Amino acid sequence: MTLAVRRTAFPSRVTVVVLLAAAAGLVFAHRLYRTAEISLSGAILSVISSYGVDVAADRQTVYFGLGSDTPLGLRMTPECTSAFLVLPLIAVGAIMIALRPRIQSRVLVALGVAALAVVVVNQFRVLTLVGLVSWLGIDTGYYWGHTLLGSMVSVFGGAAALVAFVWLATRK
Amino acid sequence: MSLDLVLGFTQALALTMSVAFVTYVLVIVVPYLRRKPAPIGEPSSLEWHFFVPCRDEEAVIGDTIRYLRTTFPIAHVWVIDDDSDDRTAGVVRTLKRNSGVRDPHIHLVQRQRPYARTGKGNALNDAYRTLKMWMGRRADADRAIVVVVDADGRPAPNCLEVCAAQHLFGNPRIGAVQVDVRMINAGQRQPGVSWWRRAFGAGLVRMQDLEFRTAIAAIQMSRGTTGTISMGGNGQFTRLSALDSIAGPTGSPWRGSLLEDFELGVHLLTAGWHTGFSLDTHVNQEALYSLRRFLAQRTRWGQGTMQCMRYLRRIWDSEHLTTLGAAEMMYYLAQPWMQLLGTLIYPIPMALMAYRFVVSPAEVVTWFFDGAWILFTVYGAFGLLPFVLWGPVYRARCVPVSFWRSIGYGLGYALYIYTFYITSWRALIRLVRGNNGWTKTRRNTDRAAGKVALDV
Repeated sequence: MTLAVRRTAFPSRVTVVVLLAAAAGLVFAHRLYRTAEISLSGAILSVISSYGVDVAADRQTVYFGLGSDTPLGLRMTPECTSAFLVLPLIAVGAIMIALRPRIQSRVLVALGVAALAVVVVNQFRVLTLVGLVSWLGIDTGYYWGHTLLGSMVSVFGGAAALVAFVWLATRK
Repeated sequence: MSLDLVLGFTQALALTMSVAFVTYVLVIVVPYLRRKPAPIGEPSSLEWHFFVPCRDEEAVIGDTIRYLRTTFPIAHVWVIDDDSDDRTAGVVRTLKRNSGVRDPHIHLVQRQRPYARTGKGNALNDAYRTLKMWMGRRADADRAIVVVVDADGRPAPNCLEVCAAQHLFGNPRIGAVQVDVRMINAGQRQPGVSWWRRAFGAGLVRMQDLEFRTAIAAIQMSRGTTGTISMGGNGQFTRLSALDSIAGPTGSPWRGSLLEDFELGVHLLTAGWHTGFSLDTHVNQEALYSLRRFLAQRTRWGQGTMQCMRYLRRIWDSEHLTTLGAAEMMYYLAQPWMQLLGTLIYPIPMALMAYRFVVSPAEVVTWFFDGAWILFTVYGAFGLLPFVLWGPVYRARCVPVSFWRSIGYGLGYALYIYTFYITSWRALIRLVRGNNGWTKTRRNTDRAAGKVALDV
């Protein structure tokens, strides 16, 4: 005699609760997220930079170019973090899963890809800023990197992440 | 919660909403610009019934009936008189008598209080039931098409052959078709008012024409991909068998929301019907010159959209709608709520900047001229681009005006859209207060009107 075991998906209600908790966590524990984000920037910079790099985790700040003519510290402020760009995606993803549980896995994959894209874009923004400071000096490099290029990277990166999310979450 | 956190959160949310909207607009404008006319069909293969809901339309209904009977001799015209105080019914009877030669294609559906004036949906339901009785049980409901037209509506002469095409009602799965809407008074100035009001009114009418012929048409075309083309109240073609399938035991395909046309589309789509849209034909209607009347109309539409939020679960539960389709409908239904959120979110960064300016003006001035002005320019451009681009699109596809005038139209359209922030709040207040009754949108020549829908 064989027993037929019905394959059950992970309960969507649990997923929705976890996602909403994650969204709340991004708001209430944003300092922790920013620390992780700037630590990641520090790790990448240590690999690609020939000058010294140091992360002051308690201030969410990375110092780079240590030993060069243009040492500088960049702080990951609440205005610069990717946390609040990920948050709307999580909220929309949770709503979609709550309304159509059978697309749970698809939405989670889409959410993962889009969130990763947003994080990568923000890292790219930091690295662009560092590159411009090294190339053009602190005043000019920071001026263009932080104001214009940084904003453009955020806008186009955000658009790419949104398109990826919609495409992956809704494809048949 | 610190100010930095509030600023970071609101900036990110504003950026996400703006980027989502810019991306959406760019995605829909390309298919619109690439559109080519589709083949037409044979109107006599179908049976056509125009439904014209009226209340106090004595001034316009005669010309409308004459137009419909002359332009579409094979079609039936059903005038639904919602217990008018004027001679609307008398005009219809006179035309039906036709100087002694009775016109069998003109029909009057007479409603009477207290059963009249309970909303456009109920009026259309009355006409639907009357049509069913008139056709009898053996009628072919698949061949019969109901066309809803405003009392002053003018469907283009080619609309039956366009809608009879193989990809529209020639396809038995198509339950409804919406055609393009144009403003018949675009380019006409309102007589008998001051210069200022005349110029403002002409601009407002132009914006309504631009909105329907470009942005709304492009949205409808994109819905062809998502399978969620929605219905408008004017120029709406519906197969009778599709209406039958959603009419229920009371024989009421139209429901009670203030956006009964969109609601009808939701019921058809979730019942498994497909819907179509065509730019190859159109219906003309009169745009509003008065800002006050325009705001009242858009508040009603906003409130109707908010009411339709109750269909969200039904939409997502439907096996007939894809996830993309359901997401598109949710995005549409979320619009008034996002506008409410926008009025709260967008001013926060500006308010915080103003606060900092008051506390430390020199610091803010230095910050602005040191580079923040670039940010303002970038975000301003992204804020305006999705609206301004419809000006040149209107020039390219609809009305040949100079390039700079088209840019002016685009900038005007950006301002025009800001009225939705006002109407969404008005709609919310009405919704919260339970005010579901509505004053009919007054025509440009009307002086006053009563409610057409009652509070429930």
